Amino acid sequence: MNLSPVVRDDFSAPFFDAAAEGRLLLRWSPSSGEWSEPTALVCSVTQAADLEWREASGRGSLVSWTIKPGRERDGVRTPDTVIAIVELEEGPWLTLQVVNADDRSRLAVGAPVRVEFVQPDGSEYLPVARLV
Amino acid sequence: MNPNSAIVGLGMTELGKVFGRTATQLAVEAICKAAEDAGLSLSDIDGLYVNPGIKNDTDLRLQSALQMRNTRLLATIQAFGSSAGQMVQYASMAIAAGMANVVACVYADTPLAEGKRTGDSYSGQQRALQGVGALPFAAGLKAAPERYAVAARRHMETYGTTSEQLGAVAVAARQWAAMNPLAQMRDPITIEDHQNSRMIADPLRLLDCCLVTNGAIAVIVTSAERAKHLKQPPVYVWGWGQGHPGYANRRGSEFGLVTGAAQSGPAALAMAGVSIEEIDIFELYDCFTYTTLVTLEDYGVCKKGEGGEFVASGAIAPGGSHPTNTGGGELSSYYMWGMTPLSEAIIQARGQAGQRQVAKHDLVMVSGNGGVLDFHSTLILSPHPKAR
Repeated sequence: MNLSPVVRDDFSAPFFDAAAEGRLLLRWSPSSGEWSEPTALVCSVTQAADLEWREASGRGSLVSWTIKPGRERDGVRTPDTVIAIVELEEGPWLTLQVVNADDRSRLAVGAPVRVEFVQPDGSEYLPVARLV
Repeated sequence: MNPNSAIVGLGMTELGKVFGRTATQLAVEAICKAAEDAGLSLSDIDGLYVNPGIKNDTDLRLQSALQMRNTRLLATIQAFGSSAGQMVQYASMAIAAGMANVVACVYADTPLAEGKRTGDSYSGQQRALQGVGALPFAAGLKAAPERYAVAARRHMETYGTTSEQLGAVAVAARQWAAMNPLAQMRDPITIEDHQNSRMIADPLRLLDCCLVTNGAIAVIVTSAERAKHLKQPPVYVWGWGQGHPGYANRRGSEFGLVTGAAQSGPAALAMAGVSIEEIDIFELYDCFTYTTLVTLEDYGVCKKGEGGEFVASGAIAPGGSHPTNTGGGELSSYYMWGMTPLSEAIIQARGQAGQRQVAKHDLVMVSGNGGVLDFHSTLILSPHPKAR
């Protein structure tokens, strides 16, 4: 794992407060009943401008992924980074680092994952995906 | 609308590791060359569209650098890789509306810095990582290769597209480039070379990725009537389209599978009044090998999901049934965003491509792709005036 640190802004404060407690918040539209990604400003299905934060299940599955090879630095090879699009049960996609894909054969479309949170130095807690 | 415009001038600076010159200086040189190519003087130009690249360090103030007076049309256009096609579209409409007579469209950029790694130039902006919008970047999805890699992986998983098939796109581009004196990479490569090239972001290898280039390219657009009296064989604009899918980040998204080309291509063909089977040459935005493949599918050259087999058949290579990226494309010639496919389309349509000239060049289809398959433009060009 090698996530870059992220700091909060006013908009993301509730998201990161929940992340510190191990809870995943998404945006949710009361008028449509549809969920949107955390960055959404209007509903990703109906464009309704009534989004609010709402706790999601944290369960999802892989849509696609890439593997960035580690690099040699001072004779030490940094580990590969696996980054995936995860489709959450509620519908939205998140781009997450996959923390336990050492067995590459586990990377498959539809493979179930659970969202967890890690805290890099100097950062808020950030979501990652664990294959289950 | 029935288009009634033509591209009459093409100007290109030295392209590649060109250091010590600003994007504005390069843009001025490209426009001067394009005007000279057309047999026009700078004072004939009364419209200007400026597309700055990733460095974003030139803009509509280029007008004053060119000492242009009485400019009637002026804007910076930033639609990333779809900009070149869009500029020609807006120029054509402005000319039809009587807003301008002669419009210069230019792309200029200097992403390469002396002594810096090529990969650094497109590795994402240095920004303070703040808020939920930074989460993908923080997770490692930083530069263009990994973003396109996720798209390519989805295509592979869905349709069975293979890395070797992507390699066929790279090999074909290099075969064309070998015949292009302007190309930066002209040494032949094989599928094996592709497979042995270093992994950048799985599944994309080094030879799946385009070049990074400093330089500028300008084109001059005017009315079809005026074009007949200028120096070069006119390249008439027959049709155009745009398609911006606005992928929702959610269930049901076609990201990686279908791009804006699926909307833009058919719109351009309909406007031109021709079918995809009638197109002689394809000049497609090829930031990655996968982009060529998915654009061919979306334009309807082959069926969805069959792009891999299609490119591996040799169809797009020299001597193939569908000559594609005949100058070597962004993969092997030069990376000037949408000006790469557009410039080669003009050269081919004019019949000035020398050793690599495609014999039948009556209709050329040109794509521009920006973002991560987010923005798309299409042009259909011909050396023949469009029947009205």
